[in-house]
Amino acid sequence: MARENDSTVYKETFDVRKITRPAPVLMTHYLITSLLMSGPLFFIPLIPLFFKYHTLKYTFDDSGISMSWGILFRREVYLTYRRIQDIHLSRGLIQRWLGLATVAIQTAAGSARPEMSIEGILEADKLRDHLYTKMRGAARKSEDIMIKPIGGGAEIDPVEANEDQVLEILKEIRDHLQNLTVVKSTSDKGGLS
Amino acid sequence: MSQAVDRAAARFYEGFWGILTRWFIVPAEPPSLPVHEGEKMDSFRPSPGFLRYMKFKFWVVLTLIDVLIIVPWLILTIFKPLVGLVLAPIVLAIAFVPDIFAYLAIHLRYDTTWYVMTERSMRIRRGIWIINEITITFENIQNVTIKQGPLQRFFGISDIRVQTAGGGSGGHGHQHGAEAGFSHEGILEGIANAITIRDLILNRLKKSKSAGLGDEEHHRIIGSGWLAEHVAVLSEIRGLIRKLR
Repeated sequence: MARENDSTVYKETFDVRKITRPAPVLMTHYLITSLLMSGPLFFIPLIPLFFKYHTLKYTFDDSGISMSWGILFRREVYLTYRRIQDIHLSRGLIQRWLGLATVAIQTAAGSARPEMSIEGILEADKLRDHLYTKMRGAARKSEDIMIKPIGGGAEIDPVEANEDQVLEILKEIRDHLQNLTVVKSTSDKGGLS
Repeated sequence: MSQAVDRAAARFYEGFWGILTRWFIVPAEPPSLPVHEGEKMDSFRPSPGFLRYMKFKFWVVLTLIDVLIIVPWLILTIFKPLVGLVLAPIVLAIAFVPDIFAYLAIHLRYDTTWYVMTERSMRIRRGIWIINEITITFENIQNVTIKQGPLQRFFGISDIRVQTAGGGSGGHGHQHGAEAGFSHEGILEGIANAITIRDLILNRLKKSKSAGLGDEEHHRIIGSGWLAEHVAVLSEIRGLIRKLR
């Protein structure tokens, strides 16, 4: 019961289009990781991360995601939901403490690195599940639904349907039409004589 | 006696889990996947054989390392008893403290690994410090491999590797750190009924008519170029003509 309530709340409050910027806590995460990585020299990895945080922009539309960042060298990645191959959600210890996660999206491009790593999202679970419902193979497909002809006739199972079936129907239509024209021409002749 | 030890160990382990879930925010419950109505979801851990397999490897490595540490120390103690006695606590600590942690780590690794499957997709969770979750729809799977070594065969388990399109599948699965999780591959370790699960995945794959990548709206194609709607309209025409006669 509680679960159902959760899902309704989720539908009302979570709108992926509202995500345009990473959460400010991402900067804290960058600072901590830089400190852990390089100690007193932390500002060296922090400078690019600082600019990345301040220029990072996300755009979620109906068909895909766009992510851009950079100040000197600008980068913009765009990918469509249906090209997603797999979705990774990873949470390091510090990320969990700050309530952050990285949602990494893989397309079929030839690299082991993810094509897009969405960082600094507080509602990463919801974002991930949203992306999941949009990716290929997650939605119910027409294969699962039987097609009913409008004017009666047998139901067609689309899994079974193929060119042979189409040809068969076409041939039958041709034969019927041929019969019709024969009948019509004889009755016309009858009317004349 | 051994029962009491077991109980104490279990309580210690529970306490450890409490710390993990509270301070290190390790989720204790299995992950879930969004499902359609009437679709069922299975979540499972690796088989108990996997735990035995890892423990067996642990004992083998432990014996080897501890022999390498303790034998030189014994020789030293025989020739220089005083030095040997002074070194005793350090040597014993080096020999046994890491073992306790390694043993604990095996149990934690087993308990934090989760596999979730629905009719359409699967999700794998793995990791303690960095928790990685990978979600793959069966339709995107390119190939499924089952691997079993002789030792794994003895414990009745095997690994299933599920690959999606795209290169660089992260070497041979022995990488560590954050990068290792981001590959085009999902690994189900320590599965007892590997064949059943492989067939389950492959059945779903066969149902999929399109083998291509990320098709937009073409998944309604049946045969070459004929949509299911075409067939429907054609049969409708046929019906009308039948009535005309």
